[in-house]
Parts: sequence; C-alpha cells; structure tokens
Amino acid sequence: MADTIPLAEAHSLVARARAGDFGALEHLYRAYEGSVYTLARRLTRTPEDAEDVLQETFLEICRSLASWRGEGSLWGWVRRIAASKALMRYRREKLRVTEVLDDDVAERGGDDVPLRLDLEAALGRLPEKTRTVVWLHDVEGMTHEEIAELMGMTTSFSKSQLARAHQKLRDWLGEEGAVR
Amino acid sequence: MNEVRHGTTDELLALRDGEGSAWAKAHVESCGACAGELYRLEQVRAQLRALPAFASPRDRWAPIAERARRERLQRRFSGGVGLAAAAALAGLLLVAVQGTHPDPLQAETTLKTAMARSQAMEQVLRDLDPDARALTGGAAGAVVDLQIRIEALDAQLNDPDRWGNDRAHQSELWNERAGLLSALVDVHTTRVAYAGL
Repeated sequence: MADTIPLAEAHSLVARARAGDFGALEHLYRAYEGSVYTLARRLTRTPEDAEDVLQETFLEICRSLASWRGEGSLWGWVRRIAASKALMRYRREKLRVTEVLDDDVAERGGDDVPLRLDLEAALGRLPEKTRTVVWLHDVEGMTHEEIAELMGMTTSFSKSQLARAHQKLRDWLGEEGAVR
Repeated sequence: MNEVRHGTTDELLALRDGEGSAWAKAHVESCGACAGELYRLEQVRAQLRALPAFASPRDRWAPIAERARRERLQRRFSGGVGLAAAAALAGLLLVAVQGTHPDPLQAETTLKTAMARSQAMEQVLRDLDPDARALTGGAAGAVVDLQIRIEALDAQLNDPDRWGNDRAHQSELWNERAGLLSALVDVHTTRVAYAGL
C-alpha cells in the first residue's frame, strides 16, 4: 500500500511522538491501524492473533521511534515491524504446538478441497510461510531480499515459495480462476 | 523433433517483476502459452491487491497508550525520579549547612518521610508487576489518568527552579506523588473504581 502520511508530516509526527506527545502517537496509530491489521490478518491464523500483532506492533513503535532514520517511508518501517511481530508469533506457535502436518509439505485444510476456490479462500489455504511470502511480495511490494532478511531465510527460499504459491493458486482457482 | 522449452513459474514471475532474463523475454514474445501464463500471474497479483482490507473489531488505542505510558513511567522511575530525589537531598544538605530554614531539622524530617513514602510505594508497585496484569477498560483509564498526574509531578520535582528552597512545597509534592502511587497500587490490586483524589 502507499504511505498515507507524507514524509515531511511523518518527520514532524515522529519528532513530536519522541518528545512524548501522545497525540502524535495516536495520529500514527489512526493512520496505520487498518493497514497493520490487514497485514496481520493475512499473515496470522486468527483475528485474535491479528489483534495481538496490531497491539504489539504499535507498542514496538512507541519504544523504537528513535530508530526510524527517516530515510524511507514511515509505512515501510511500520510494515516491517508488523511483519516481524506476525512472524515471531508464528515461530512461537510452531515451538509451542507439535504440528502433525508440516506445513511445508501439506496445505491447510487437507485434500478434500473443492476444485474451485475463490482467491480469498485459496490464499487462506496456503501454508503460513508461503502465504507470508506471496503477500509481502505481491501485495506489499517487498523485494525477495527484504523478505529473506525478515524471515531469516535466503532469497532463493523467498522466490521458490512465491512460485509455489502461484502454482497452488493456479490449481485451486482453475485455469480461468485469475480472471473470474 | 525439438521439444519447446516453456518458461518456469520462477522465470515468468521474474519477468512479471521486471527482472526476467533475456531468454524469457524473447520466449514470451513468441510463445502464446507462456504469454498467457504471464498474463495470469499479473492478474492474480492485481486481484490479491484488490482484496478488501480488514478493520480491527476493537479500537486498541486505549490499551496501547496505557501500556506505553506505563513503560515510559518505568523508564522514568529508573532514571528521572532518581535525579529528583538526589536534587532534593542535595537541597536538604544545603539547608542544613546554611541554616536558612527556621526549623531545618523538622523540614528535613518531613521531606525525608515524604520521599521515603513515595519510594516505598514505587517498590510496592514494581513488586506487583503491573505489566503482567490485565485491566478492565475502566481500570486502564484510571491508570492512565494517575500516570499522567505522576508524570506532571515528576516534571515539577525534576525542576528545582519551581520549588527553590521551599521545603514545605517539596514535601507536599512528594506526599502527593506517594498518594498517586498508592492509588495506582489500589487499582492494580483491587480493581476498585477510581473516584479521583
């Protein structure tokens, strides 16, 4: 998504927020709340997880405002924090739950899926890591290098997950699925 | 007979993203199947971007702001208020040496008592580990209100120009701070409705 706060305004808001102006922090929250929550919903399993990511993201923003150097867009910085929080939640969940099905080899929902799904359902059926890559790359516009760094993987991993996602989406959406 | 090599999904995605190889570019221009697949990949991306946004079911700003204020306050406890206490003690020593106060011993005792009370309540609050406690909306609001007032007091305590040599006023500020901290402890321990001080 495009940044909803122009860079000059972002500099001013961040400076005020750093000085302890909670009004400026709330302005940042209102500007990015929807985008962060949408990103979190796409990267996590449940709405509750997404709400937690939303809260953790903004708390991290409050703590780390000094680390925004103002070189890139503020949304790019916020998005990176949000994605990182979502991935941390995913890793914690992986450690906590012993998964019978490794999502690297089995998509969510088993084999009894209908031949045709709409895009929303097909996206939701992708394994979490694969869905994360396709969302960050195709929707958020992150490069494979950025995604690899964020996920602690290689760029080859990011590229292969993207290709795999599109192959799965093609299968599930049907030949003409993408233009329905 | 030569078999036609089509572009892989990887190669076509790279092409879609403007990074394709010269071979892939040339191939797509002459291969209807790959051109069709490239178009499909572009369409999927466009449709992904057009998926509706989600709206958070609840406004999370109040708990975020409350927690952020608490964290800021904790940072101040470990730094800023220590400076205020040091400044107050330095002032007391000066008063005792110069003997400018009509009853310096009484002023010293009163101020030390007020500071000790405030510091004791800080310790109680730390021991409660408020970050680990969930608060209702009303309690969270009360916490924020109290923290704002404590921050304002801290600003005064950290600014000697505002209290000068007025030991009685300093004692009042420290006592007020202890009272606010005590109210914070009450909110965290009993969840009672905060009616203001």
